[in-house]
Amino acid sequence: MTARPEVLRAAHGAGRWRQLWPLLAYLLLAAAFPFLPFGARSEYLLQIGYFTVVAGVLALSWDLLARSGQLSLAHAAFYGIGAYGFALLSKAGLAWGVAMPLAALIAAAVSVLLGAVTLRLSGMYFAIATLAFTEVLRTVVQNLPDSLAGGANGMLVPALLAGSPRGQYFLAFAVLLLTVACSLAVRFSRLHLAFSAVRQGEDVARVLGVPVVRYRLLAFALSSFLAALAGVLYAGKTFFINPQETFSVATSIAPLTTSIFGGLYTTLGPVLGATVLRGSEELLHTVLKDGSLMVYGLVLILSILWLPRGLMGLRRRRPGGDV
Amino acid sequence: MKNFLTLAMMLAFSCAGAVKVGVLLPLSGSGSVSGQAAQNGYRLALEEINRAGGVLGKPLELDFADDGSTPAKAVPEFVRLVTVDRVDFMAGGVSSATSIAVSGPARQYNTFMAWIGAAAVTVQDAFAGDPYFFHYHPWAYDNVTAVLAYYRYLKSSKGAKNIAIAYEDGPFGASGIDSLVALLKKNGFNVVLSEKFKSGSGNFGPFVSKAKAAKPDIIHWIGYDVDALPLATEIRQQGLNVGMVYGTPPSWPVGFEKNPLAQGVAGLSLWLPSSPQPASRSFVAAYQKRFGSVTEEYFAPLAYVNLKTLADAINRAGSTDKDKVAAELAKTDVDTPFGRLTFSESGKTKYQGFKAGSWLDFQFRDGARLPVYPVKFARGTIQYNSTR
Repeated sequence: MTARPEVLRAAHGAGRWRQLWPLLAYLLLAAAFPFLPFGARSEYLLQIGYFTVVAGVLALSWDLLARSGQLSLAHAAFYGIGAYGFALLSKAGLAWGVAMPLAALIAAAVSVLLGAVTLRLSGMYFAIATLAFTEVLRTVVQNLPDSLAGGANGMLVPALLAGSPRGQYFLAFAVLLLTVACSLAVRFSRLHLAFSAVRQGEDVARVLGVPVVRYRLLAFALSSFLAALAGVLYAGKTFFINPQETFSVATSIAPLTTSIFGGLYTTLGPVLGATVLRGSEELLHTVLKDGSLMVYGLVLILSILWLPRGLMGLRRRRPGGDV
Repeated sequence: MKNFLTLAMMLAFSCAGAVKVGVLLPLSGSGSVSGQAAQNGYRLALEEINRAGGVLGKPLELDFADDGSTPAKAVPEFVRLVTVDRVDFMAGGVSSATSIAVSGPARQYNTFMAWIGAAAVTVQDAFAGDPYFFHYHPWAYDNVTAVLAYYRYLKSSKGAKNIAIAYEDGPFGASGIDSLVALLKKNGFNVVLSEKFKSGSGNFGPFVSKAKAAKPDIIHWIGYDVDALPLATEIRQQGLNVGMVYGTPPSWPVGFEKNPLAQGVAGLSLWLPSSPQPASRSFVAAYQKRFGSVTEEYFAPLAYVNLKTLADAINRAGSTDKDKVAAELAKTDVDTPFGRLTFSESGKTKYQGFKAGSWLDFQFRDGARLPVYPVKFARGTIQYNSTR
């Protein structure tokens, strides 16, 4: 019998389910969230839940690209393409069910074009290139005719599902499920090995015959597609987008910090990170109106010091790593 | 212990049925300067209202919430105030983006909103026809109208005709620049130069060099506080002679008025502590007594007026019924630190408070802001040829 690598053994059979149960528990809890007996607080918590799910989608989509060893600062660009694409396609008369995936596909196509040029760069050079791309895109959108996209003023966006809070939450949850499914599909396929090889030693991977740019392009396209869906969810909830906020550096940095806080290169880590960060932020905000941001910042600093592997580092490391 | 419980119960009963107003403000983030100023204005108004007997015979309650200057925080906070804290009315609102974001839940819950900020025209679209939306701040186009009125006055009285424009390349500077240029031209001005700059870069050298060649009468600058000193310094260093440097930043740099370079620089504001109206003078006195200082942020008196007029309308309505309060608030006709406040239809919204006539122009003179136009607000004459 041929000995299989530990990583693949862990990723199949009983080992896989042992690792998956915390993620499944999280998803079940998220699905049941609108029905939990919070009484009068449910509507408010539903809003918090919605933006938490969007943050989770954004963080996990960023993590998918990070697994291939690329530090992208262009997430705001694809998030923005999703938001603006959805707004413009809706304005053109397309139903949200068509406009939403189409906007995400446009973002994926743009990422392939960008990736073809920039993915040969690595490390900080790639990060700078992606940051510059975001800035260029912001300027382009800002200078579009006011009649088309509102120029620098921004534009109104039609509400998703006629503004129904519960309907919107389940739509966001469906996008989260799709993102988790993509993450698991990568994790339990040869892509995981290819991404890890490229991340851990690009030159070695190249020598071994791994098509580095092709895999990175795939990761980039997938990541951008999902980031664009997060952008649609955001725009369809806030009814308004403008270039300055949508393409902001903060939007690019947020998924990065969330993923690191939750646990890089895992499926549960980024979504858990989004939940804990957003939840603690709201809790602090409610309990400690003055100085909540100071405490929040302190918690972040301490967690980075004490949890170098993020929240997922609290779990005992299993063969093959966390899912 | 028993006495304490009795006192607590009495207090609880006295507040039962008290009118609650939720106040959504940017207490953190990019809009926090205006948000904090507004919070002080609300606190001052609340104390005065409650000293005068409160609302409907009970002390008025305010419930502040921080929108963090972002829509993603504004929506849940708005919903919390309305559904969890169950406030009777909503007030506050500074940023246009956060205000538009809460328009969805506002319609869903039929929320009564007495809104102080959010000047973008897109806000009008978001709240079009809303029977419970009262907007106090002038709309963005009123700002342009006010600037144009001032320039027309300079044209007729000082012969100012040529204008050079420097605008930052973000939404604040770039939005509406084309329509501003078109409007100036339509009114007989020559726009001799129009150039964008990166806010915070401090690099005004090329712009001032070109302006020297174009010989403008007015430098019209649209940017942020960080750009004020670099521009003024560059003008001085290159010896650019202009009739007036005019800026419209959301806030001026702290201590700018004390800098010799500020002398003669002009700007636009809804209100100044030196405004001559009696209502303004009494507000300044009350503010100084309460906080020990004088604010230059107009969101403080705007919030003050907002809560005072809302409380007054509730008292006149005799209940918290939204339709009755809306009918009473619509009848508002009072003197305020900004001049007279009445509500009328404006564009798409039903109730608009302050309009173009509320803006006033000032100049930095001898370490303070001096209102110079319109004439009814003026406390000194315009110093033209300020850099010549």
